[in-house]
Amino acid sequence: MANELLYALWETLYMVFLSTFFSGVFGFALAIVMILTGSNGLRPNRALYSALSFVVNLLRSFPFIILMIAIIPLTRLIVGTSIGSTASIVPLTIAATPFVARLVEGSLLEVDPGVVEAARSFGASDMQIVFGVMVREAMPSIVLNGAVVAINLLGYSAMAGAVGGGGLGDLAIKYGYNRFQTDVMVYSVVILILIVQLIQSAGNAVYERIK
Amino acid sequence: MIHIRGLGKYYDDMKVLQDISLDVEQGDVFGIVGHSGAGKSTLLRCLNGLESYSEGSVKVMGHEVCDLAPEGLKELRREMGMIFQNFNLMNRKNVFQNVMFPLEVWGVPKKEAAARVEELLALVGLTEKKEERIRNLSGGQKQRIGIARALALRPKILLCDEATSALDPKTTISILELLMDINIKLGVTIVVVTHQMEVVKMICNKVIVLDSGRIVASGETDKLFLAPGEELRKLVRDDYAVIPSGTNIRLVFPREIANESIITRMARELDTNFSVVGGRIERYRNDVIGFLIINVANEDLDRVIGWLEKNGMIWEVMKDGE
Repeated sequence: MANELLYALWETLYMVFLSTFFSGVFGFALAIVMILTGSNGLRPNRALYSALSFVVNLLRSFPFIILMIAIIPLTRLIVGTSIGSTASIVPLTIAATPFVARLVEGSLLEVDPGVVEAARSFGASDMQIVFGVMVREAMPSIVLNGAVVAINLLGYSAMAGAVGGGGLGDLAIKYGYNRFQTDVMVYSVVILILIVQLIQSAGNAVYERIK
Repeated sequence: MIHIRGLGKYYDDMKVLQDISLDVEQGDVFGIVGHSGAGKSTLLRCLNGLESYSEGSVKVMGHEVCDLAPEGLKELRREMGMIFQNFNLMNRKNVFQNVMFPLEVWGVPKKEAAARVEELLALVGLTEKKEERIRNLSGGQKQRIGIARALALRPKILLCDEATSALDPKTTISILELLMDINIKLGVTIVVVTHQMEVVKMICNKVIVLDSGRIVASGETDKLFLAPGEELRKLVRDDYAVIPSGTNIRLVFPREIANESIITRMARELDTNFSVVGGRIERYRNDVIGFLIINVANEDLDRVIGWLEKNGMIWEVMKDGE
């Protein structure tokens, strides 16, 4: 039992860590493009911004479980299989990327436009402004949003687990719910609660350090 | 240094700036005053290309600003520092890093840049705060850091956008003194946008008054304030209650005649009485000028005016409500 719990914990951490990482990278890149092309951005481009915004909204409106099934061919193409923890990283990443993009965009939009203007006034380039000023100033808020994303993905991973991804959510359903092993269910849930607390505390701690 | 001819700017159909022409020469402290929404901050931003313009010509150090390619505009901005009402410092950098930032942007070697930052912090008197977080500074200290940052690249022109509007009167004066110092000792030409008349009087040698995007008065500061036109008077309205009878006359006392006991002499020579309604002493750059508002009975008015003219006084009859 303990072995199974440990293995499920490993699978969960594996899925959450990697999907947070990948969605962080892609979502961040997307957010940078959106912030540059937005109406008050440094390189306004209404067509590009509207297109990106539409895709982001579209992906976010899919129920996760439907999205996961819909992109099975893509998942197969990337990892060679559609079952297992590794395979579930694909839909998790795709589901979380637009979410990350919106959160990071929000964080960047909150940066005082005056600070950006000051940087322009002494001749900073657009890239220097985006990375040297906006991202830097927004970092505390981005970190907090990172915790939100990771916790969200923890929840999604339980769903992914139920359709073959493994992990704690899967364990709780398979053993705890279907086989009436209440203790397994309780353990799984308690571990999930602890992970959430841990992620949030880590996020808060980093925020306090860098704000 | 700066030559503007027929500048106009529109937001959609709204005219923000109309037919602005002005000249700022090397070493000037040039004031742009007006109510909020008069277009003065927009005008200031046309100088360093933060705002575009649709008509006319803005020539800064020989370059037509709107014709500059992005690289040329960057070079121009290097020559023009700017400070802001809300300081616009980066919260996640400390004092030293904030002043360092423009130097990093321009790739100044680290050692040289660090030495320059030390120099600037000494200039604004905040050397001991260099490790401090921005949020732990007072408003005046933040503006000093803003000034240090704006001067980091040794600009020839410093643009000040309501730089003292968020500060209390005492701090305002200390910041203005610093700006004067920079103007005189470093020879930096300064353009000041403000709605505070005291700021203009204290540091500007030339001034334009902007109202609804148009210049309504312009000239040398002392002359302009000694004989304010209709438009300027609206802005500098003296808030003295008008006495129901008689006429109020505003007398101006430049330094030369301040010692000649004008008032008592006039009373004696004309054998008349009048009351003092109000007065104040104002500082214009390096000069001190006194104002006195007296109230004379209407039947004495002509004699009083005759006497004032004869004695070479600077005066004006005030209308109701002024």
